[in-house]
Amino acid sequence: MQQAARLAAAYVGTQLPIATWAAMPASGAADTEIERLLDQIGDTILPATPGSPGAGEVGIGRFVLYLTAECHPPETAATLHEALAGIRRQASRRFSRDWSTLATGEREVLLADYEREALAATPERKTGWLHLKGLILLGYFTSEAGATRALRYDPVPGAYRGVVPLLPGDRSWAP
Amino acid sequence: MASHPTTPGARTHTYDAIVIGSGISGGWAAKELCELGLRTLVLERGRDVQHPGDYPTALANPWDMPHRGRLPHEVVRANPIVKRCYAFDEATAHFFVKDAEHPYVQEKPFDWIRGYQVGGKSLIWARQTQRWSRFEFEGPARDGLAGWPIAYDDLAPWYAHVERLAGISGNRDGLEELPDGEFQPPWEMNEVERVLQSRIGAAFPGRRVVQGRCAHLTAPAAQHLALGRSQCQARHLCYRGCPFGAYFSSNSATLPAAAQTGRLTVRPHSVVESILHDDATGRAAGVRVVDAHSRQVTEFFARVIFVNASCLNTNLILLNSRSKRFPGGLGNDHGLLGRYIAFHNYRGSLTAEMEGFGGSYYSGRRPTMPMMPSFRNVRRQETDFQRGYMVFFTAYRRDWNRGVDEPGVGAGFKERIARPGPWEIFMMMQGETVPRHEHHVRLAEDRRDAWGIPQLVTSVGYTPNDDHMVRDFLAQGEEMLARAGAKRIHGTDDHRNPGLDIHEMGGARMGREPRHSVVNATNQLHACPNVFVTDGACMPSTGVQNPSLTYMALTARAAHHAVAELKKGSL
Ligand SMILES: Cc1cc2nc3c(=O)[nH]c(=O)nc-3n(C[C@H](O)[C@H](O)[C@H](O)COP(=O)(O)OP(=O)(O)OC[C@H]3O[C@@H](n4cnc5c(N)ncnc54)[C@H](O)[C@@H]3O)c2cc1C
Repeated sequence: MQQAARLAAAYVGTQLPIATWAAMPASGAADTEIERLLDQIGDTILPATPGSPGAGEVGIGRFVLYLTAECHPPETAATLHEALAGIRRQASRRFSRDWSTLATGEREVLLADYEREALAATPERKTGWLHLKGLILLGYFTSEAGATRALRYDPVPGAYRGVVPLLPGDRSWAP
Repeated sequence: MASHPTTPGARTHTYDAIVIGSGISGGWAAKELCELGLRTLVLERGRDVQHPGDYPTALANPWDMPHRGRLPHEVVRANPIVKRCYAFDEATAHFFVKDAEHPYVQEKPFDWIRGYQVGGKSLIWARQTQRWSRFEFEGPARDGLAGWPIAYDDLAPWYAHVERLAGISGNRDGLEELPDGEFQPPWEMNEVERVLQSRIGAAFPGRRVVQGRCAHLTAPAAQHLALGRSQCQARHLCYRGCPFGAYFSSNSATLPAAAQTGRLTVRPHSVVESILHDDATGRAAGVRVVDAHSRQVTEFFARVIFVNASCLNTNLILLNSRSKRFPGGLGNDHGLLGRYIAFHNYRGSLTAEMEGFGGSYYSGRRPTMPMMPSFRNVRRQETDFQRGYMVFFTAYRRDWNRGVDEPGVGAGFKERIARPGPWEIFMMMQGETVPRHEHHVRLAEDRRDAWGIPQLVTSVGYTPNDDHMVRDFLAQGEEMLARAGAKRIHGTDDHRNPGLDIHEMGGARMGREPRHSVVNATNQLHACPNVFVTDGACMPSTGVQNPSLTYMALTARAAHHAVAELKKGSL
């Protein structure tokens, strides 16, 4: 165990070949508005709760745009933007107001409705919503705050225990 | 084309033994040969990977990776083959061969997954290490297929030998169809796995669920600590390379042990093009190497040569070793070289849910999972297909991921999906495939790689026997899960390509008769006895268990035989 801890400590100093989260490129000016909208959607789906921040606070908007551009075929961006436009349209239809002026409760109602409709709608619409929600969840729960505060993160468990009682309030282990 | 140690520089290019490849089998050859006193040269086509300094992602947190473990679309698009391997991701991609780097010709679809570096695929394997049982060695002959020239008892002491150094965790289960070994303490099962174990055992007498055996140190002994290895920390980030040296790899175990003798030379960036046959002596004289970067050609000489380039590359090297004596490839007197390639059938899998057990969880990330040794055709033929399959399964609680298709938004939703969800079960098969003459690899006539070496053509496929086996597994799996109380059981045949199992075997199969096999019972080419083939290429059948522990044991056994023969002067 001690030797393991020593090894781990020695290792942390080594350089990762990959850019870190903070080094992710900033979006262009045109994207900042979309980024803000995504942050707000993120904060509606995964708001701040006691002990952990909301998705907007971990920069979820930038993450969704970055992963869409990097890890998906080019046509996925259009599907994402279609979903965002659909959410905005729903704001004017349902509340006759712009999304940005809606209160938290109104946004929740809106997204819950949008989700219900999207899941029952055309495959394309469904895909757009699942893409959006999937990246918000991924980005949040793999962020430092999401993994360590919304979940439990243990980088070096040391052992596996097969049967551990789950107490009320216990969160999942982060991967 | 007689090549002799008369080449300029031959004296400095001469060793007692040459090992081609530094992966699981080559690492063992190097260790045993060095420890038995031979000055050994390991030729490795890939770059060096030092333990533990060259595992750049080993301690990366999820948020340290810009794509959070996913691969950029460009990488996925450019790698239709390797992207199908579940272990190929943002944290591990640097240990896998990319499709464009080493093309081959798929006469029939075959996913050839490779790791070209010092350590080979020992850095990226799943470390499941079951011994084969006597039924796997005896079964093919019983069924009228090519038989093994050795029995379980011949290999048992060598299994023990490699298990001690590798460090294999497991229970002593006392099963004839899954022999016990020299074990490190086992990993635990979680509550739902224990329930499945007892319910399946009760409903199906003779079907045993045991914990999978894996090459992880759970209680390192002095010999492990002496190599700088330490206890497994249950991180299960193994495919990135383990800075603790807790799982077995060439880099953490066999190569350091070989180096401690002072007799080891590892030469990375050395692409072995062919083995040189000396028609005058009837022995291999050495090997021809193309430098991976400069393309410069060099020759190295030795009295014994171990070919451990991994199954298909070993076939390629032997086929490409043409001489007057062997126009069709080294040792290929009967046109068998490259034939009878087989693999493991992984097509069938099931998922299911287990209701209840909401108060039970687990901690840590276990590097293995429960398994069932074969329960089909073990002692006699019972089904409409030949041979059998083993089963792996695991039970786990769903995590936040379920929130993607589970409707919901807001604080209540977030709190719910941040807690463990329902229990899910994943079950999969690992089936024996029957080697067939027409399933082969050969050299492409018109295509060469960047080093001037002919590309490999793969012509390996499924047969109706495999289809029947998948059907049986899906039916039995469903019945076992249902009897154990699982709900919403879904079976799938994913029709994956052969090769994705990464257990390709055969092409230079062992046997007693030179007319029916390529190597003998001690892994020597029948027709050129100072060349040893001890990787997957030598396997006359695939068994149902993961093969690498058996490659290790065969390699250690053959290395001791080689040194004994050298001492007698008969090589
Ligand atoms: C994701 C994954 C999971 C796996 N899980 C398991 C498991 O749980 N259990 C199990 O038993 N097996 C498993 N395997 C398979 C296991 O990795 C192989 O069986 C094992 O590595 C084979 O050992 P080897 O020495 O034959 O080949 P390798 O380990 O592949 O080593 C071969 C070496 O030879 C080198 N080489 C090739 N051609 C040349 C040449 N011309 N000149 C010089 N060098 C050359 C290569 O670069 C490589 O380093 C898994 C594999 C993968 C990828």
